[in-house]
Amino acid sequence: MLVLKNWDTNLRSREKKTLWSFLFLYAFLVLISLFFVAFLYYDLQRELFLQHQKEALSNLTNEQINRLRTLHVNFDKERLYPRDERFNSAIYDSGLHEIFSTLRSQNVNLYDDIYIKEHKIYFIKELESYYLGARYIALEVPEPAHWDKKIYRTLFLYGGIIFALTVLIGYFLLKLLLRPMRDAISLLDRFIKDTTHELNTPVNTILSNIEMIDPKQLDPSLLKKINRITIASKTISNLYDDLTYLILSHRLSSHDETVDLKLLLEERLEYFSLLCESKKIRVGACLEANVVMSIDRKKITKLLDNILSNAVKYNNIGGTIDVELHDKLIRISDSGRGMDASKTKHAFERYVRFDRSVGGFGIGLSIVAAIAKEYGLSVDIESKRDEGTKVSISW
Amino acid sequence: MVKAVGLFFICVAWAFGSESVYERHCVPCHKDMPVKIDKFFYRYLLKYSSETEVKRAMTHYLKNPTKETSILTDGLINRFGVKKKTMLSDVALSEALDTYWETYKVFNKLK
Ligand code: HEC
Repeated sequence: MLVLKNWDTNLRSREKKTLWSFLFLYAFLVLISLFFVAFLYYDLQRELFLQHQKEALSNLTNEQINRLRTLHVNFDKERLYPRDERFNSAIYDSGLHEIFSTLRSQNVNLYDDIYIKEHKIYFIKELESYYLGARYIALEVPEPAHWDKKIYRTLFLYGGIIFALTVLIGYFLLKLLLRPMRDAISLLDRFIKDTTHELNTPVNTILSNIEMIDPKQLDPSLLKKINRITIASKTISNLYDDLTYLILSHRLSSHDETVDLKLLLEERLEYFSLLCESKKIRVGACLEANVVMSIDRKKITKLLDNILSNAVKYNNIGGTIDVELHDKLIRISDSGRGMDASKTKHAFERYVRFDRSVGGFGIGLSIVAAIAKEYGLSVDIESKRDEGTKVSISW
Repeated sequence: MVKAVGLFFICVAWAFGSESVYERHCVPCHKDMPVKIDKFFYRYLLKYSSETEVKRAMTHYLKNPTKETSILTDGLINRFGVKKKTMLSDVALSEALDTYWETYKVFNKLK
C-alpha cells in the first residue's frame, strides 16, 4: 500500500514540475511583452516631456541668438563668446563644423531637434540669419532630476498588476487544460500499479514452492524443466523489483548499513548461477575480502543484479562473465555481443537524464544510474562490438 | 587678353615681393571706401555661413557682379555703383579669397 501512495505523490510532483515550467515560460513571455509595452509607454512619455521642455529651451536659444547678433555686429571689437550659467551652447556652420562650443559632449546630433544623452538635454535650432556664420545652435541643459520617477512608478504599479493577473489566469487555464490529461494518466497509472501488485503474489508463490522441491528426488529431465521454471520466475521477479523501484523512485527511504561486498557478490552470483548454467556461461570471480560499503543493501543488490542480468542477457551461449572486486572498484565484464562506442555514449547520456527517460537502454541501466547517483558512485561502461562489455563501478 | 593681364599681375607680384594678391589687389581699392571690406565679409558670412559657401558666393559675385546678386542694400549699391568684373585669374582670385577668409574668419578667434 505504501508503494501505491508514493507512486501517487510522484505523479503529483511531476505534474507540478510541468505546471511550474509552463508557468515560468508563460510568465517569461508575458514579461517580455510587458517590457515591450512599457518601453513604448516610456518612450511616449519622454517624448511628451521633451515637448514640454522645448518651449523653455526655445526661449533660452532665442536669448543666445540675440547675444550672437550683438557679437556679430561688434566682432571687430569684441571676441568673447556669450555664456550663460543656465546652459552650455555651441554653434556650427552650414558644413556642420563647430565654430565654438562650451558643451560637455563633443558629438552632437544636429539632425535631431531635441534629445537626452547622458543626463543632459540637447536642443538644436537652425538660425534664420547666420550670425558669425552659425547656421545651427545647440543648447545643453542638465536633465531635471527624477523627471521619470513618476513614469517608473506608474509602470511598476500597472505592470505588476497586469503581470500578476495574467499569471493567475494562466495558472487556472493550465489547470483546466491539464485535467483531462491528468485523468487519463491516473487511469493508466492505476492500471500499472494494480498489475504490478498482482504480479508479486503469484511469482512469490511459484518461487517459494520450487524451493520446497528437493532436487535429489527428481529425475534429470524433470529437474531441467523445474530449473527453467525457476529461471523464468526469477526473471519476472526481477522485473517486478525494477518496476517497484521505479514507482518508488528514490523517494524510498534508505536504510544504509555496512555491506560486505564480497559476501554480497557471492550471494548474487549464486542467485544467477542457474541462469548462467542454462546459457553455459562460465563465471570467473576474483573477489578481494573485506571490501565494505555503507549503503542500502536492497539498492546495491538491485544495482548489481541489473548489471549481472545484462551481462547474462546479452552474452553468447558458452560465453564468460568475470567479476572482480578490489578496493573501491567492482568490475563486471562479459564476452557478450557488446555495442558500438557511440552507443555507450548514448547510454551514458540517458544515464545522466535518468529521471525523464525510462527505456532506450532499458529500465535496468536507468535504475543503476539512479542508485549510483544517489550514492555518488561512478559507473563507467566500456564496450566493443562483438567483444563484450565492461562495467566498472568505482567510488 | 585675360591671360596677358594675368601675366602682368604675376610680374607685378614679382616686383612687389612677398605681398599677397589680396593685399596688393583688393585692399588698396577698398581702403578708401566708407564701408570697410570686413563689413562685406561679415555680410557674406551672415548669409552663407560656411567657408565653401562664402567663397563660392564671393567668387560668383566678383566674376559677375550685378545689382541683383549684390549683398549690399539698395541704398549702398546705388551709392557705390556695381563694381567691375575682376581681372584676376581663377587661381589668383581664389588665393585672394583664401587670404580674405583667413583674415576675417570667426574660427579660432572666439574666446
Ligand atoms: C577697383 C576697386 C576694387 C577692387 C580692386 C576690388 N573691389 Fe571689391 N568692391 C569695390 C566696390 C566699389 C564695391 C561696392 C560695389 C559692389 O558691391 O559691387 C566692392 C564690393 C565688394 C564686395 C561686396 C560684394 C557684394 O556682394 O556687393 C566684396 C566681398 C568685395 N568687394 C571683395 C573684393 C575682393 C576680395 C577683392 C580682391 C580680389 C576686391 N573686392 C577688389 C571695389 C573694388
